[in-house]
Amino acid sequence: MQTLNIVGKSVRRADALEKATGAAMFSTDLNMPGMLYAKTLRSPHAHARITNIDTAEAEKLPGVKAVATWKNTPRILFNTSATMTFTVPNQEPVLDQYIFDNVVRYVGDEVAAVAAVSERVAEEALKLIKVEYEILPAVFDPLEAMEEGAPDIHPCPAGKNIPGEIIKIPMGDVEKGFAESDVIYESRFTLPIQKQAQMETQAAVAQVSPDGNITVWSTTQTPHPSRMILATAFGVSQSKVRVLNPPYVGGGFGVRIGLSAKAEPIAVALSKLTGKPVKVVYSREEDFIASDTRHAGYVWVKLGAKKDGAFQAMELKGILNGGAYCSFSCETPGVLGAMGLGVYRIPNVSYYGHSVYTNITPAGAMRGFGNPQAMFAIEQAVDDIAAQLGMDPIELRNQNIMRVGDPWILPYPCSSTGLEECMHKAAEEVGWQRRGSMNETGSSILRGIGIGVGTHVSNAWPFCVDYDNAYITVHQDGSVMLATGVPDIGTGTTTTLPQLAAETIGIPLDQVAITFGDTLTTPFDIGSHASRTLYAAGTAVVAAANDVRRQILEYAGDLLKTAPDHLEFANGLIKKRGLRDSECVGSGVCQLNEAQNFITMKDLAYHAHLRNKQFIGVGRITPPNAPPWHAHVAEVEVDTETGMVTVVKVAAAHDVGKAINPMIVEGQIEGGVLMGVGYSISEEIKRDAKGKPLHVSMHKYLLPTAADAPEIKAIIVETHDPTGPFGAKGVGECGMVPTPAAIANAVYDATGIRFTELPLTPERVLKKLQEKK
Amino acid sequence: MFQAYYMPQTVQEAMDILSGHKGQAAIIAGGTDLVLDIHEGKKNFSAFVDISRIPNLRSIEEEDGFLRLGAAVTHAQANRSALVQAAAPILAEACGKVGSLQIRNVATLVGNVVNAQPAADAAVALAALAAKAVIDDGTTCREVLVEDLYAEVGMCKVNPTKEIVTSLLVPVQKKRQGSAFVRLDQRKALALPMLNVAAVVQLDESGERFEWARIIMAPVGPGPVRGFEGENLLAGAAASRETIMQAAKAAVKHANPRSSALRGSREYRLGVLPVLVKRALEAAVIHAQKD
Amino acid sequence: MDLMKLSFMLNGEATEIMVDPSDMLVDILRERLLLTGTKKGCGKGECGACTVIMDGAAVNSCMIPAMKAMGTTVQTIEGIGNPNQLHPLQESFMDEGAIQCGFCTPGMIMSAKALLDSTPHPDGAQIKEAIAGNICRCTGYVKIEKAILSASEKLKG
Repeated sequence: MQTLNIVGKSVRRADALEKATGAAMFSTDLNMPGMLYAKTLRSPHAHARITNIDTAEAEKLPGVKAVATWKNTPRILFNTSATMTFTVPNQEPVLDQYIFDNVVRYVGDEVAAVAAVSERVAEEALKLIKVEYEILPAVFDPLEAMEEGAPDIHPCPAGKNIPGEIIKIPMGDVEKGFAESDVIYESRFTLPIQKQAQMETQAAVAQVSPDGNITVWSTTQTPHPSRMILATAFGVSQSKVRVLNPPYVGGGFGVRIGLSAKAEPIAVALSKLTGKPVKVVYSREEDFIASDTRHAGYVWVKLGAKKDGAFQAMELKGILNGGAYCSFSCETPGVLGAMGLGVYRIPNVSYYGHSVYTNITPAGAMRGFGNPQAMFAIEQAVDDIAAQLGMDPIELRNQNIMRVGDPWILPYPCSSTGLEECMHKAAEEVGWQRRGSMNETGSSILRGIGIGVGTHVSNAWPFCVDYDNAYITVHQDGSVMLATGVPDIGTGTTTTLPQLAAETIGIPLDQVAITFGDTLTTPFDIGSHASRTLYAAGTAVVAAANDVRRQILEYAGDLLKTAPDHLEFANGLIKKRGLRDSECVGSGVCQLNEAQNFITMKDLAYHAHLRNKQFIGVGRITPPNAPPWHAHVAEVEVDTETGMVTVVKVAAAHDVGKAINPMIVEGQIEGGVLMGVGYSISEEIKRDAKGKPLHVSMHKYLLPTAADAPEIKAIIVETHDPTGPFGAKGVGECGMVPTPAAIANAVYDATGIRFTELPLTPERVLKKLQEKK
Repeated sequence: MFQAYYMPQTVQEAMDILSGHKGQAAIIAGGTDLVLDIHEGKKNFSAFVDISRIPNLRSIEEEDGFLRLGAAVTHAQANRSALVQAAAPILAEACGKVGSLQIRNVATLVGNVVNAQPAADAAVALAALAAKAVIDDGTTCREVLVEDLYAEVGMCKVNPTKEIVTSLLVPVQKKRQGSAFVRLDQRKALALPMLNVAAVVQLDESGERFEWARIIMAPVGPGPVRGFEGENLLAGAAASRETIMQAAKAAVKHANPRSSALRGSREYRLGVLPVLVKRALEAAVIHAQKD
Repeated sequence: MDLMKLSFMLNGEATEIMVDPSDMLVDILRERLLLTGTKKGCGKGECGACTVIMDGAAVNSCMIPAMKAMGTTVQTIEGIGNPNQLHPLQESFMDEGAIQCGFCTPGMIMSAKALLDSTPHPDGAQIKEAIAGNICRCTGYVKIEKAILSASEKLKG
């Protein structure tokens, strides 16, 4: 194994200084001469037809420059999520959104927007827009929405209110498998809505030039796909649209894979109408009400095993609440099934799943993308089987987890797994052996420990089209520019991708600059999501870097009259093999006509420049895929008099293949775990009888503050995957995949009660505790 | 829309501005509740009258067995004050539970009281301590028990266009007195409580029997609610687990919580309330016995 | 509507600016004085992204009417250090990996600075209390708390 100088080191993030000093620019910070401010009018009804809309009075208000409705914006269908740009060829993308429609389908749906000289004036103008609605029947639950009497929200070939196709993944014969099982567990699980609640709300600034060129700065996680969507929605050529982040994005977690809800199209529409730059910033309430959430829904699991513990069959079903528009509702059930079926080696499995339209806020992508929902169900089934068999839950898992090369339902191999090591380390960290002896009889506070495991992906293939491009140009002084279409939404790609490039080429990290997330200066990339940027974009970066390195060694070989494979190239110095660095002193271009044993990158680049040459490396790849693995062990306390669940500690062990920057990897895991804790015990969005969401502020929506965080210990396990750059696999979403399962299993350990519904609020828990008595 | 922002230097000046604006001026001390109401369109005024600069309103002083906390005293100030921690510990504790440090640095106790929200933490502690609000109407000052200030939800009996609460008077804790504050919440910061209970008890010389107890519960009515039935059971009774359990059950008789989609159904809250009262009483007794 | 003159000390400089009494301090800082380091995450004092230090105390600037700053000393993220001389908190946040998307960072650092200014050697509970009003969705707070502890140790010696 080569010595690594930069990869594997927790180098300081390249964007840290700007962010720590307040100099970092986000979309919400942008200010332009003549810029107007936009506000959006939203539907108060869950389902209604707009029979009349009168904007005359609003338009007359001093300071108002334009009002946009369905009448003066393009009637071209699109999907705000990037799915419409990367739906795989044998499926049709579902396009069911207009910028504004004359039908509203959830409380908060866009009705109109105003551009004015200030936010205050724009808000005043909204009050002057007169809208007449014909109220239509609405439905909020996915099972109800499939029944005969339910309103049709969109036309759907696959079944009533079912977007896209029904996903069926069969392998073997589950009936036979259950017949051969000695023990079986079967149950339905109910998952709530969770919201990304990233710190920067949806925002966009659009500027349309007199010749029709559109520039959009926004919070998108995917500038290139967003360009495609906007070009479609406005009926213009992609070459006339530029999308970029300015350059930073205040988080995403899936909420803006594609457009930032409707921020970009509303900004563009108003900029076209006014001829001025227009800024759209969603209020926090709008962000809660009108941007994609996680899919709530139902997951059924049936698991059968022989009495020696060998799993025989698993049946998994997911019916997800897709909300009013499709977004990622076609892909999420697919990932739920594939990831659920990919953890254990089971000869007979089947999955059936799809989403259902309802009249609530659209559900789309959120960290984990169906996987946390699947594992909440499956991991409790596994624990129940363990209890029925009197086996230790970790031992049972060890017996059945996927191993390298085992057959499974995914089209790429299980190329590496460190799950066993993850389980062992997480268990040790929390003190797994304390289970069963943590509670004194009669105590009103019960303690328990539980485990949850899972897998995930390292990019979006085969669920979506996934490919990456990168190019690297060597400047005339030997420093380097890396261009990648991937934005940095906080995950650190602007540090880690240069780490890959620097290590591969053989130059110091500070010699690598990066241009990222701007469609004008970078090649296409499907963006930052699916835990893919390091693995997939990183593979393209390594390919481009290898291309540069090869060209440099060829050129140097010529100069130094040595075969390229007899040269060493590290730290910006190319030298004949065997030469010590201390022997490489002095240089200067003028001395190159003498016999020489080494040359610096700097001198070589300039030498080449004087001879009409620049080095440009290109990487164009379609990534394979590789499974990361994770095991979380949670310790909880349950106050049996109030039902309050407190998560005391979570040990999160993750097989990430190779940690390119361990500090960044830990940060991803730690943040994911806390999001998983929130999902498990306090986060939810309820609605009133008319479909109006209730938890719509940072105060009401109970994500964890620092005062609520348990002790979180991130543990990195490295299995050096053969397919990933330097052995790396994905991690971004993984931090919360097994957490709810671990917590639910810990609560079972403490109380003997299995909770099949999240979140574990005090009321829900106390009710079951009292029923048990 | 706001047209003016006044910063009077005396209470009299503030009262003059108020009467000059005939109900259109709003008193602001910290403003955390007021600014929110204005942003949400719930309230509309033409002028702010900022009383937080009035010198004698910012102090905490002890006089004649009482702590006097000025109207501009913030939650953070009260939480950190050695005087308050010694003389009225549950007030210091309750003040430390409100919102976040950023809010506590600005929001005042008096603001908490006059905003008249049922579960306001400081108000619950003040009510349990039998604290009084000193109300200046321009001519006279009157003292009213905090627990008597609640009309309906969000409606305080102080008329904000004509009267100013200038201070709070909090009795200093005496020998063999104990207190406790119990908050049931779904999140440890930036969250309103599901339930708040404060208990103040007076034990006899021996520390074995109750002389009296005050039990305050919220939000189970328009304002803090006294658990009279429980208090009556405790008067003269032994300070034992059994009497406390019985008193806790009795105390909740007039508790009337709504069902909240955000903070617990009525059924849940009524079920858990006796547990919290019990815990508060037990802790208050331990505190009283420490003397 | 008459504008009023707001005079206050901002990042060590005497500052005068005409404001509308309805303006909130955060908008004066961001839109009028173009100090966009302070962020708006919710506009309602519920997330802490807009935290600045006013007369030594951390406050949510989105909830402070501009005129309330009259005569006070205000510090924003732009005023606590610069690339040539960073505040130890800024150094620690960078060194400990406490920054991911960066949107909560300015407010978080200001809350931490207000803490360290008054309590140079805080314990874990005091650190949690100081930042409980600053929501971060990226980090899980782990490295943020570590960075604050580390900065307090730097300031010690």
